[in-house]
Amino acid sequence: MTAEENTSEWQGGDEAFVPVATESSSGAALDLLRIVRINEEIKRVVSVAFKINIMALNAIFLAKRAGNAALGFGVLSNELRVFSKDLREGMMALTRQIHDLVAEVSVILQESRYDRVFAEAALAAPDHAQLHTVLERREARHGERADRIASLRRGLRLAIDDAARLVELGGVLAKSAKIEAAYGAGFASSLGQVSGEFDGIVEEIRSSLDSLRRSGFFGGSA
Amino acid sequence: MKTTQTIFEDGGHKWTAIVRDPAKPEFLIDTNEYLVQHGGQGLLLDPGGSEIFPAVFSALSSEFDPSKIAGIFASHQDPDIVSSLALWLEFNPQMKCHVSWLWGSFIPHFGGKGDTFVPLPDEGAVIPLAGLQLQAIPAHYLHSSGNLHLYDRQARILFSGDVGAALLPAEKQGLFVEDFSSHIRFAEGFHRRWMGSNEAKRQWCERVSHLEIDMLCPQHGAIYQGADVQRFINWFDELHVGVLRS
Ligand SMILES: [Fe+2]
Ligand SMILES: [Fe+2]
Repeated sequence: MTAEENTSEWQGGDEAFVPVATESSSGAALDLLRIVRINEEIKRVVSVAFKINIMALNAIFLAKRAGNAALGFGVLSNELRVFSKDLREGMMALTRQIHDLVAEVSVILQESRYDRVFAEAALAAPDHAQLHTVLERREARHGERADRIASLRRGLRLAIDDAARLVELGGVLAKSAKIEAAYGAGFASSLGQVSGEFDGIVEEIRSSLDSLRRSGFFGGSA
Repeated sequence: MKTTQTIFEDGGHKWTAIVRDPAKPEFLIDTNEYLVQHGGQGLLLDPGGSEIFPAVFSALSSEFDPSKIAGIFASHQDPDIVSSLALWLEFNPQMKCHVSWLWGSFIPHFGGKGDTFVPLPDEGAVIPLAGLQLQAIPAHYLHSSGNLHLYDRQARILFSGDVGAALLPAEKQGLFVEDFSSHIRFAEGFHRRWMGSNEAKRQWCERVSHLEIDMLCPQHGAIYQGADVQRFINWFDELHVGVLRS
């Protein structure tokens, strides 16, 4: 269900203004669940990105010890540190968007309870003009909220795509570090091990972001 | 749906009890709501929980324009008292909620904005309603730590919130207490367990004994009228409260 569908709708002619509770509350509840999962995945990426930072720091020291033979490896390790920092910042921005989304979706959940109560009131007092006005006003507010959620949803998806592009760069850096490690003379095997770990971790982040992009929150299947 | 019953009427001055909903699910406690009308305006006393809003709304709006509800009086902060606040505000966003200052920042969790609330001081206050002077009477710790009742001197009615409440069985659903001694059995356990302070209870009994009361209207159960009002006050004065088991 999309945010645009997350509203209740009118049924019947003008005289019978009985709003029908649609799946707005269960849709919002499902959205909230998906947002929580997205947030957990983001936390995972942040902690893994932090691991890269530490690893890159160790790799820089290792490259320094290896001297001239590992100059290229040292440069790449530095780039991986920058990558880790950029990724964490990107993830923090995602967390802020998640916060805004949770706020909006929570209001829908709370309001959907009132929608049900008002729907029952409309059944009990079907020809009440003021109730009609109140219901229309609420409907308009729901529409505005659905628009805001749709825009936040698009923003979140774009930010995840940005992060995914960043991770592609991280992948290239890790692969290059693997190649550079081979020139590490006596340090080749330890540099190789470190670059292998880089590669593994970037893969882990990539799969996290892939699962985020497949989330049902963006219409995917996950 | 709930039914409305006029319990006092003198020209445009009227008290309506909104009571008894046969369709109410059993897991919700039954509540009485009261509407005081004067000069075309209304004050709704303990409007009830959000779950029973449809029943209260449809009963009330059958005889009063809900947008003319100038205010809500909340005897205390419980969900069965005032969790419907946000729903009533939809009809008149300027509506005021009169409640103990103690709950002024808690009840907004049910709805309303800063200017919705009129904090009542511990000693009580006058609540005007189109020229009628209603008096908020202190009833703290009975049962809530910030608790007030509402007295209408002209109608000689005291709205007493949870004081006087009785959890009545299905076969005893009359609006007025008919036989005090059999009725009070359904009130005893409630008062022992819910009312927290013997000292506060003593002070309340003393305070309301000085008022001229024809009807004592609780938020649950039946209305005490005539001699049963003093009977109730005497009974409550004697009762040992604040105990887990009777
Ligand atoms: Fe209560
Ligand atoms: Fe109560």
